[in-house]
Amino acid sequence: MTKKKIAAVSFLNARPITYGLEHGLGDDRFDLSFELPSRCAELLERGEVDLGLVPSASYAAASGELRIVPGIAIAGFGPVRTVLLVGEVPWSEMKAIALDGASRSSAMLLRLLCKERGLTPRFREVPHDEVLDAVAETTGALVIGDAGFAAATRFPHTVDLGAAWRELTGLPFVYAVWAGRPGAVGPEDVAILQESLAQGLAARATIARAWSEAHGGDPADYERYLQRDIRYQLGAEELSGLSAFFDRARGAGLLPRAVRPRLFEARPRIAPVAPGAASRSIDSLLADAASGKRLTPDDALRLYADAPTLELGAAADARRQALHPDGEVTYIIDRNVNYTNVCVTRCKFCNFYRPPTNKTDGYVLSREQLAQKFQETVDLGGVQILLQGGLNPKLPIGWYEDLFRWMKANFPLAIHGLSPEEIRYIAEIENMSIRQVIERLIAAGLDSIPGGGAEILDDEIRYQISPLKCSTDTWLDVMREGHGLGLRTTATMVFGFGEQPRHVVSHFERLRALQDETSGFTAFICWPFQAEGTRLKLRDDTTAMRYLRVFALARLYLDNFPSLQVSWPTMGPEVGQVALRFGGNDFGSAMIEENVVSQAGAIFKLGADDIERYIRAAGFVPRRRNMRYERLAVA
Amino acid sequence: MSFAAIRDKVRAGEPLSLADGVALYEHPNFIEVGTLANEVRERLHGDRTFFNRNMHINATNVCEASCMFCSFARLKVGDEGAYTMTHEEAWGRLRARVAAADAITEIHIVNGLHPGLPFDYYTELLAGLKRIQPAIHLKAFTAVEIFYYAKKYGMSVAEVLTRLRTAGLDSIPGGGAEIFAPRVRKKICDDKCTADEWLDVHRTAHQMGLRSNCTMLYGTIETVEERVDHMLRLRALQDETGGFQTFIPLAFHPDNNALMKLPAPTGVEDLRTYAVARLMLHNIPHIKAYWIMLGVKTAQTALWFGADDLDGTVQEERIYHMAGAETPQVMSPAEIVRIIRNAGRTPVERDTLYNVVAEGAALASDKPFRRDVRRSLEVVS
Repeated sequence: MTKKKIAAVSFLNARPITYGLEHGLGDDRFDLSFELPSRCAELLERGEVDLGLVPSASYAAASGELRIVPGIAIAGFGPVRTVLLVGEVPWSEMKAIALDGASRSSAMLLRLLCKERGLTPRFREVPHDEVLDAVAETTGALVIGDAGFAAATRFPHTVDLGAAWRELTGLPFVYAVWAGRPGAVGPEDVAILQESLAQGLAARATIARAWSEAHGGDPADYERYLQRDIRYQLGAEELSGLSAFFDRARGAGLLPRAVRPRLFEARPRIAPVAPGAASRSIDSLLADAASGKRLTPDDALRLYADAPTLELGAAADARRQALHPDGEVTYIIDRNVNYTNVCVTRCKFCNFYRPPTNKTDGYVLSREQLAQKFQETVDLGGVQILLQGGLNPKLPIGWYEDLFRWMKANFPLAIHGLSPEEIRYIAEIENMSIRQVIERLIAAGLDSIPGGGAEILDDEIRYQISPLKCSTDTWLDVMREGHGLGLRTTATMVFGFGEQPRHVVSHFERLRALQDETSGFTAFICWPFQAEGTRLKLRDDTTAMRYLRVFALARLYLDNFPSLQVSWPTMGPEVGQVALRFGGNDFGSAMIEENVVSQAGAIFKLGADDIERYIRAAGFVPRRRNMRYERLAVA
Repeated sequence: MSFAAIRDKVRAGEPLSLADGVALYEHPNFIEVGTLANEVRERLHGDRTFFNRNMHINATNVCEASCMFCSFARLKVGDEGAYTMTHEEAWGRLRARVAAADAITEIHIVNGLHPGLPFDYYTELLAGLKRIQPAIHLKAFTAVEIFYYAKKYGMSVAEVLTRLRTAGLDSIPGGGAEIFAPRVRKKICDDKCTADEWLDVHRTAHQMGLRSNCTMLYGTIETVEERVDHMLRLRALQDETGGFQTFIPLAFHPDNNALMKLPAPTGVEDLRTYAVARLMLHNIPHIKAYWIMLGVKTAQTALWFGADDLDGTVQEERIYHMAGAETPQVMSPAEIVRIIRNAGRTPVERDTLYNVVAEGAALASDKPFRRDVRRSLEVVS
């Protein structure tokens, strides 16, 4: 087998990524060399290496299509210490800025941040070693890599660009990723690269010591840098940051086309099973869960059965606090538009649909009706349309493409649209693959996919309540394809169909495993089935206490989901507030309309002011967001 | 006072101070406050959670007082929406329940301060109800009404209570307390009796051997200190008489009244008030989550935040519904039992004086989900 050529970066912050590879891992597969970041990108562009640790800006600017190795990044959330703008004068007074020739992402980030602030300095590229010498009077310099440690104290004015990005978006920034041509590496290779990082993360103290011996400097300071300043996971929040960077750069004219982070295929990581788990006490299980230890399905079933409610909530609250230490609770202003109620699926729990044979009550919203709804949304400060409908055999893919293009041309709204079931159905009637459908919808303007129609991701239950709907595997496949194509999605669960706890836990397990592969899910949302008026005559527990227990368990189990959204439209804002102390960090949407649930008896309506009041009264700081979870400034 | 120090006091059984109560209200994590309140609740009652079968009669909404938070009252006879039931109408409601074989144990009677009715109207109302159903418990007339009758009909409070008791009165509901602080009372219910007068009616009733409940209206213009002060005044009277059975926090509902501009208290404020009440009022045995007011979901949640009582099946509640409450006006005993069991608690049907009417297998039954969990665990393992 020919070895794959891979080029990595020699900076300190890249050492953990290559640590395993440098210590014998994958010797038979990879041929590893070290270059400057911009050089890695050049080699990849010229096809001289199969995989490069490249600046995220180079990924975006590459002439051909690239893929990213899932799970691995050089990223930061806030100050990163090695991407600095330095100068003798404040940023706003700089007339020129020298850019480090080794940098791509940081340079694009700086250009973007200047644009966002209305600053127009001249930019000039200089070689990596000469960048500090360029600083004089009104000329500043962008310093990257290890030179940043020394530069921080040499100049009267320094701006940490990681901090500036966080201030702007509330998201992490991704500086570099492993990227290559489609098919360059397979799931086995991805697993080895992930293992290399895992070994490197465990050896950060050793790496810091070795670096200090070779280059001078305080090893403790280097270790802090590797432990605290750099984040190595390409998790869901980092993907949000990456998407935000590409979109903003495109908006500022710094990228010629829209770019999404597209991923190589990975295989699910196998959850380790703790030996002798069954004999552990509920208290020790709760303590482990609260500290972030991964739960097994058996652990989850035991917690669900036996953990006292408030203690389960407190453990979930501890996880929420660890994941969102800033005490912020986000919400979005969007509108749920159900474009058609014609549907072939005939789910027993739905009282919204009309079969195609119903000629009187079936509808497809007209452009005029849609335009009015969209304009009202814009006028109310909305940033997104949650667009969902029935499976209408009269709507070909061209109908959606036209609709999306028309929406994008006329309204400044993101399209969070078409649940997996709708996408699968379009593929079916068009005789296309799911991937082809998603690619065409993205090209037409689709921004993200809502996680609806998941109900319970266990075919035993799905078959009972919605026999014509897609299987668990198909639902997950649509999400996997969407994530691979660079879309972010949510995931939902509706419980109270008479399912057993093992079905609920199996739902969690399937979502967690896919998230391990792709990190594409932004948030999880669950609610109890709203039975009123539907054909499903059930007597299951859909009370507030069960909701809170299921919700808390979700926070503990779904350790790789950044956000848990409370469902106030079904549970009421009071229980929604309580759920913020049972693991929730997002209050969902200030909803303008929601046909499906409201026809089944939920009647709550809240505006942005109400939502903010509820969030504050629960002891949190409200922040408005978009679908990427970027924090939005509110006038 | 730190939260840990307050927790130590609670565990040692020491009464909490005004400052403690304020600190509990201001503690950033309301789940912690709830957990501590739950400790006290479980110490007193374990998992037992009480409810009764009852009906409401609001015989008139004509009321001389114009309280700003009220959506129920009409100032004069003949005002739009004003009504006064004849005795036959009021008795008819009970006859209908008896005919339906509905085993209610209590009638809760609260009315406006009607300027034109003779005192006999009230005594005959009670006497007639007892004639229809001698065993029924009549929990009737708030302290505000009793005080009003004393003034209007030229009797002492003790005399009013004695005559009502002779006619069939069994206990006194806790309404009309609102907030004791004179500053707030003057603004929101200036026509009502003062705090001292309210407390004196209950003191008198307790001394005569009548039991009563007590309430607090929160969420209008009162401060946190004024809420805690209110609780402390109730606690002081309880130390004196021991006559209170249950404390019921009542959230202000903002529709159709003079305080419509105010937002209603949120769920977290509701639950925190239950928890603080449980911790402050160590000498009052029960804390009631009045589901009509809270909504069923929050009331169920309150069972983990200090409350041990869900009130009753209730029928024809008018006061909160005229203020915009969207809860149903009645719940069946089976529904209440299910909600309690689904909360992981043990339902107990009580009468007004907390004698057990039914528990365990004798109750209307429904499966709790936690029992299902265990069954499915057996399947898994």
